[in-house]
Amino acid sequence: MSRQFALEGIHVLDFAWVGVGPITTKYLADNGADVIRVESAARPDVLRIGPPWKDAQPGINRSQFFASFNTSKKGITLDLGKPKARELVKRLVPWADIIVESFTPKAMRNWGLDYENLRALRPDLIMLSTCMQGQTGPNALYPGFGQLMAALSGFYHISGYGPGSCAPPYGAYSDFIAPRFSACALLAALDYRRRTGKGQYIDMSQYEAAMQNLAPALIDYFAGGRVLGPRANASDRYAPHGAYRCADEDGSERWIAIAVAGDENWRAMLRVLGANSTDARFATLSDRIENAAALDEFVGSLTRKHSAQELTVGLQAAGIAAYPVQNCVDLHQDDNLESFDFWHWLDHKEMGASPYEGLSHRMSRMPGALRSPAPILGQDNDEVFREMLSLGAEEIEQLKKENVIF
Amino acid sequence: MPSELLNGLRLLDLTDEKGALAGKIFADLGAEVIKIEPPDGCSTRRIPPYLDDVRDPEHCLYSLAYHAGKKSVTANLANADARELVANLAAHADFLVESHSVGYLESIGLGFETLARSNPRLIYTSITPFGDTGPGKAYNWADIVTWAAGGAMYLMGDEGKPPLQMSLPQAGLHAGAEAAVASLLAHYPRQIDGLGNRIVVNMQACIVWTLMNEQAMPLLHGNHLSRTGVFVGSADARRKMVYECRDGFISTLIAGGPTVGGSTRALIEWMGERGPVPEWMRIKDWLAWVPGVFMKLTEQDHKEIAELEATIQRFFITMTKREIYAEGLKRRIFLAPVANAADIAADDQLKARDFWVTVPHDTLGRSLTFPGPFAKMSATPIGSTTRGPRIGEHNDEIYRGLLGLSPDRMATLHASGAI
Repeated sequence: MSRQFALEGIHVLDFAWVGVGPITTKYLADNGADVIRVESAARPDVLRIGPPWKDAQPGINRSQFFASFNTSKKGITLDLGKPKARELVKRLVPWADIIVESFTPKAMRNWGLDYENLRALRPDLIMLSTCMQGQTGPNALYPGFGQLMAALSGFYHISGYGPGSCAPPYGAYSDFIAPRFSACALLAALDYRRRTGKGQYIDMSQYEAAMQNLAPALIDYFAGGRVLGPRANASDRYAPHGAYRCADEDGSERWIAIAVAGDENWRAMLRVLGANSTDARFATLSDRIENAAALDEFVGSLTRKHSAQELTVGLQAAGIAAYPVQNCVDLHQDDNLESFDFWHWLDHKEMGASPYEGLSHRMSRMPGALRSPAPILGQDNDEVFREMLSLGAEEIEQLKKENVIF
Repeated sequence: MPSELLNGLRLLDLTDEKGALAGKIFADLGAEVIKIEPPDGCSTRRIPPYLDDVRDPEHCLYSLAYHAGKKSVTANLANADARELVANLAAHADFLVESHSVGYLESIGLGFETLARSNPRLIYTSITPFGDTGPGKAYNWADIVTWAAGGAMYLMGDEGKPPLQMSLPQAGLHAGAEAAVASLLAHYPRQIDGLGNRIVVNMQACIVWTLMNEQAMPLLHGNHLSRTGVFVGSADARRKMVYECRDGFISTLIAGGPTVGGSTRALIEWMGERGPVPEWMRIKDWLAWVPGVFMKLTEQDHKEIAELEATIQRFFITMTKREIYAEGLKRRIFLAPVANAADIAADDQLKARDFWVTVPHDTLGRSLTFPGPFAKMSATPIGSTTRGPRIGEHNDEIYRGLLGLSPDRMATLHASGAI
């Protein structure tokens, strides 16, 4: 049997919205699974109205933020508040190997679309519920989004210039941790089902997934009470270690990230920068770590004259880890990302040619692909309701009139 | 007991800090994960900080965290006998994940092509900082450098100060998790056609994927963001995201609309119960209030936002993180404490879900508390419940048990420094 994609033949019914759920199902969709997103026009995915927008103009089908997370998927619209819509969902359930949802925990239960009910329709169903703090516990209904979760789960506290400073990571940081974990859970559950015939329910708390990326600090706290805090770019292993100002370009400031491991690297760095140092505070790695503030000032005074790009090439050739601190314009001109074929322009029905991030890995056999741009709202209603559920044209019209298909 | 989920599958872990999380995820899922490391231990065992500041491999916190549930064998890859051992292990493995310099394992006869000849089922995943084809394929690496290359650093920090990395480096963790996903993606069709796969993970791309699609901003909006400390949004519409409170910081965001508008209204009501708030704030229809953080704002919007932000700041400074969070939960306000490890350890939600796992650590003579599994799975609970291995702890079990080496052969390999 010849297959083009790894997950060909896998069917996914996707009730997820915003970040974590859709990014999770994007892994499946880009790898050949049939993913149908169930959306509601009454309460569309908030990302549909999130920037960036085509030509900076908001619109329900103009958000690249939404588009980027929903490639290769089909989209239908149902008002799940209506019993008839839920009946249609239940007719789709036997088709689904996997169901994903990311509402606050009570929503699917209130609609009678929880795991217990759905698996009656498909006994080997794999269902993933992902929400901020998990399906159980006193804060299960916590309303939030990724920026808040990044604060709650500890990332803001380790971001800043020192005690009393807070300079958080960009955006909804934890939204970009959880999907990789939830995708692993789903793929492993598929394998288990293949071996045993058993489906299961996966309760994924984005809070608990985020903790995985802070494990060393948490183990340390429980064992000895030490609390990791913000410490700018200081390191216990490298010095210099940080971002250093380079020559401005086109009136904008440019920086380079540098990490220097040992004495040999340190001397090589000075050579590349055309500098010398007899300063006793910088003699050994431990001296440099101890005097990091003075060291940063010294290195910054040297890098200031150099182009970040050229300095990167020079330092790398001398064995030193370095790279320009890139902005989003730079990313689109980055030779390494280009060589990896990372950027893709897809022709979206309403937005036209739009820039999509590609996959972060490459498989030699059955590589995944951005198979289609994100669906516009309700794009596949006809195909799904007519062909999959065999509804007649009149019936569909009637359901639209009643705002069931919406 | 390891999870039933991936029971019976074996992964060889030849990663360092660019990918140790990949094997940890597999161990959590119940696979047998064999860490292959040099006789003096993997570099991941020498990453500060150390438990109780005891600078030895057993006390390395990174290693404690990301090697839990794994086994360890030693192999000195500079030695031909050791390379043969690794090749033999690969013949018995389902997955191999590595993060050596691009081309290194190939150069010593442990590349995909070679290993796949004796094991066509092998899924072989290489983690690379900048891909395996571009000008940076041989670049020297440190986590901060990928954080910068992937665009995350540029967006983090205060204006007028250097761009920032977090105090606990993150890039290698994203790459490790991506390697786990990709390996499992390749696993599904292998169960049908029996054929393995060769995968290359690009860490820089993994970091671009954390930017919330900011990449498209220059192309669609004609501008790009730069770091703005505790503010979020475009330069003429930015809004405060972090406020000081009595013992730290609180994160919240003023917003309107059907999803968040109710939260803004609830916060204003709460402030109104504790003291005076301006009349306009109380009567405004926040559900219909539209100014977004990337929109063009009117003078009036700017004035209102400034006044509301100042009011919130005056309110929060009188209370602790814990008080504000507790009340925010009751009133369904979109806010969160800027929590540190102590706050997280004390959190009732994580306790109620039995999140924390206590793992006995015989080598250290104590128990350690770990973050629990990343998901609760109804049929096959997951998570590592054993400590990470000592260097080469499983040499006998694996080399003798799995590969059938004789005691004499083991002695020879020890003597030559191969293992």
